Amino acid sequence: MTDAMVQVDSLTRLFDVSKPWLNRVIEREDRRFLRAVDDVSFDIRRGETFALVGESGSGKSTVAKMVVGLLQPTKGDIRIDGVNLADPAQSESMRAMRRRIQMIFQDPFASLNPRWRVDRIISEPIQAFGLESDDRAISKRVAELLTLVGMSGDDGRKFPHEFSGGQRQRICIARALASRPDFIVCDEPTSALDVSVQAQILNLMRDLQQEFGLTYLFISHDLSVVRHMASRIGVMYLGRIVEVAESKALFKQPSHPYTRMLFDAVPDLKMSGRPHQSVEGEIPNPISPPSGCTFHPRCPHVNERCRTEIPEAIASGDVIVACHAHQEGRIGKKL
Amino acid sequence: MSAPILSVKNLVVEFPTRRGILTAVDEISFDIAAGEVLGVVGESGAGKSLTGAAIIGLLEPPGRVAGGEIVFDGRRIDNLSEEQLRSVRGSRIAMIFQDPLTSLNPLYRIGEQLIETILTHIDMSPSDARKRAISLLDEVGIPAPETRIDAYPHQFSGGMRQRVVIALALAGEPDLVIADEPTTALDVSVQAQIIQLLKRLCHERGMAIMLITHDMGVIAETADRVAVLYAGRIAEVGTTRELVHNPQHPYTSGLMSSIPSMDGDSDRLVQIPGSMPRLTAIPDGCAFHPRCSRSLERCHLERPDEFTVNQSRVACWLYDKDAPHD
Repeated sequence: MTDAMVQVDSLTRLFDVSKPWLNRVIEREDRRFLRAVDDVSFDIRRGETFALVGESGSGKSTVAKMVVGLLQPTKGDIRIDGVNLADPAQSESMRAMRRRIQMIFQDPFASLNPRWRVDRIISEPIQAFGLESDDRAISKRVAELLTLVGMSGDDGRKFPHEFSGGQRQRICIARALASRPDFIVCDEPTSALDVSVQAQILNLMRDLQQEFGLTYLFISHDLSVVRHMASRIGVMYLGRIVEVAESKALFKQPSHPYTRMLFDAVPDLKMSGRPHQSVEGEIPNPISPPSGCTFHPRCPHVNERCRTEIPEAIASGDVIVACHAHQEGRIGKKL
Repeated sequence: MSAPILSVKNLVVEFPTRRGILTAVDEISFDIAAGEVLGVVGESGAGKSLTGAAIIGLLEPPGRVAGGEIVFDGRRIDNLSEEQLRSVRGSRIAMIFQDPLTSLNPLYRIGEQLIETILTHIDMSPSDARKRAISLLDEVGIPAPETRIDAYPHQFSGGMRQRVVIALALAGEPDLVIADEPTTALDVSVQAQIIQLLKRLCHERGMAIMLITHDMGVIAETADRVAVLYAGRIAEVGTTRELVHNPQHPYTSGLMSSIPSMDGDSDRLVQIPGSMPRLTAIPDGCAFHPRCSRSLERCHLERPDEFTVNQSRVACWLYDKDAPHD
């Protein structure tokens, strides 16, 4: 990848889910760990929207939190413009990098301080990074940001509870833009919104991307939203990336059996009478994931090798797939 | 079409507050035929859950039915006493809630909850009730029901828990099930399984379902007919096919085209400006007119009548043929 802005390399994150110390001693149990993210690697190119999709518990939000630095990885590296987030020797450039990374959260009701007026919420990053010094310049910038996200400059005097969900998400976007970032991590930005409002927010995000040349990491469980927003997509299952491909190619020709199952499960809005394959089972408990390929208990193409050996992610062209059956040519092309 | 099992006429649900009465459901009328799936779709705050709660008599005070009538199987049920309502609720009309975790008691085994429900509604011995509970669990697709019946709710996954909730709803052999966002808390792959299950039950048992959801995809997969709600009023009622392919009301067509498509390549989504009004500030005339791109002058003043357009019922002045056109 020539122009990778974000490089994520074999990222792993464990969570300690052990019982309290005394229980462990009495019941003679070892510590237990939940492998939320397991050996995840991907690149995000400058100016693109890279999406991570998956069902709940697949680890997509944990990846997002590690990329912005809200969680420390257990193993692996995250490099943004060549700066390693975890390397203490680069902490000076890391501080400069902070300004350039912002995040938009899922729930616009929980991510805005209810006791602060909107202008204070939006001006906080400007002051924290020392982007403007005098008050007049700051309030001018806040009004400019509010206009940018389709609100009026006077809305800055109001409190978050005076706004609807969609408007609050606009405020969150204005706050994210306040530090003039070039990389924004969006964790399910429209999942809490109604469809007609979701369309407004998605359009706004695309407009802003074009205007400021933003790079997005877009986390969602909604395939149609991802299809609309992303240029490339990574599909996650139980903490691993099973497939990475260009958005168009992925929807035309999904390779991994899990991706196919996921696409098949999406309700048929057009009522085209598309036959559904029956979907088997549910995502297993990540504390005790299945051996080998974690998808094998639900996979129609499973064989002995899948039960024992973890498939490696192998790239062919622009598509990366982690599946034995795919590599051995045991799966036919779809349609 | 057979006689409707449920007929709702001009239903009004109000909430008295300190600042006056809020009308959350405003003169809604619809029918559900036996064995039919009626989808009720709308954005949050449209009044769809309240309509469901009003039918089954579970409105939380101070909410109250302030007008209209609800006729179930030829009998009015909106004016029944709590005692009389009990003979209907659970046995003739059952309800499935959104979150399977909160609709099961975590302290009781699922078998106990099922058997209690069966014995409440059907006169049989406890051992027969246990057999029935096992067959219900089998019917909703729980593997090894003979052993799983003695498990606690937390021992089930989200999808399996929702199946248990559906089995509970079936316990009294209802003729109508009100399913309030039954798949919203579930992942897509599990959602697809639950949709299949509901369709199968409806088909096999000849049971009617009122499916309340905000997800047009779920509606398109499941429902025979759809009612679209906006700000407590019905915007459009029609067959699912007609509504999906040929929406008439400006709100419905806006809603349909604002959903990102799985196979389209459009750069921009069609968006409806603004958001649904709060109950305290429902505009005069048509509640949708401030967001409507085709609004006429009379939309600001008069609440629209319902007009029949291609078998759909549409509440919009655009379809008034008698209106003077200029």
